[in-house]
Amino acid sequence: MSVSDDIRRWSDELARSPASMVFLPLGEALRTRGQIDVALRVALRGLERHPYDADAHDLLARIYVDRGETERALDEWDAAIRCTPGHAGALKGMGFVCFNQGRIVDAERYLAEAAAASPEDDGLGMALLRVREQIANANSTSAPEPVPVPESEPEPEPEPEAAPAPSSVGNGNGNGNGHGDPRQLFADLIGVADQAALLLDEDGLVMAGQYVVSDGMDVGAEVGAALSGISDEARRAMRHLPLGDWRTIIFETPAATVVMTPAPQDGLVLVAAAPEVPSGLVRRALESVSQRAKRWMEQLS
Amino acid sequence: MSSSSPFIPSLEHLTRQRGVLGSLVVSETDGIVIDAVVQPSVKAPVVAALAASLYRRARQSAHAAGLGGVKYLELVADGGRLCMAGRDDLVVVLVTDTRVGVGLLRVELLRTAAELPE
Repeated sequence: MSVSDDIRRWSDELARSPASMVFLPLGEALRTRGQIDVALRVALRGLERHPYDADAHDLLARIYVDRGETERALDEWDAAIRCTPGHAGALKGMGFVCFNQGRIVDAERYLAEAAAASPEDDGLGMALLRVREQIANANSTSAPEPVPVPESEPEPEPEPEAAPAPSSVGNGNGNGNGHGDPRQLFADLIGVADQAALLLDEDGLVMAGQYVVSDGMDVGAEVGAALSGISDEARRAMRHLPLGDWRTIIFETPAATVVMTPAPQDGLVLVAAAPEVPSGLVRRALESVSQRAKRWMEQLS
Repeated sequence: MSSSSPFIPSLEHLTRQRGVLGSLVVSETDGIVIDAVVQPSVKAPVVAALAASLYRRARQSAHAAGLGGVKYLELVADGGRLCMAGRDDLVVVLVTDTRVGVGLLRVELLRTAAELPE
């Protein structure tokens, strides 16, 4: 049975029984298909009838993330946890958002709780592992006698906006510091759930970043080589269309959402994410990754 | 274009959206226009050829990268966007200016593509 059939069946069931919990799979299916506004209406109506259902708040939160309304999403996940303490979906979502905001320690805490509540979720385990690696990297490269800095104040760097030195190692809080290992250049910028970022040169060769798949293999070279040809085609098309230079290409497949943008020296930056990651977040991640790639290349040249 | 085409109502609906300069159904294989509802400023044959070529390349590249088939593609440029969604050999293409509300348009485009004949 296709997703369309499922949606039709669930819609019919909801029409017959408005109090049915079937609004949960219906809303999720609509969200996944990109029918965000319809999904939002379904979720809100469901919540009117089931205001204390944690899964309903979780669904609404994910819809808000799709709409780029992160604060509302966090409110809904907070409500889900109040309804059902230890709700794995809400904890995972909050961990994901914290990671994207550079709040690595908070992300680790939420993801650890989520993993404890949902030990069968392999993706969650991998995400937690990556976050802990970043925290460990940050700790191992910090000064021998660090001075505690209040969270609300900027770090005491002379030029906090300056481009990072390629040889330095990022501190994992997403402020754009450099990295010794180019493969880790974007590690603190991309989300924790099945996301990848690559910087490719003009020949489609990987300069920085990695694309790690579920078995732990880095397939960045293969993916980069295959996808870099799309930008050549876009460049060719733009020469004949009155739309100006191309800025971003987004494409969606059953396996991933991929966004890419030109990098200096005819290079290419791309971010890929699992299809369940909200496309708005993937697009935002590209902006951060692109800015860091640009600064990093400036340091190289 | 013939007004009796089964694609015309959908294309007219898409072209009425804010910021849309034209909508086309094109053949991915040979880049020809199957049907189009476009403003006079849009050269439908040129758009069709280039969009089909780009979509085909994206599909081949995504396949080579192990990502599966492309169901939606969007090219953002300084002066507008090309949005595409395909089914089998047919691709629905939108040409837009910069004022377009892409979230809604993406949904409409995917819906239209899903209704294309197999």
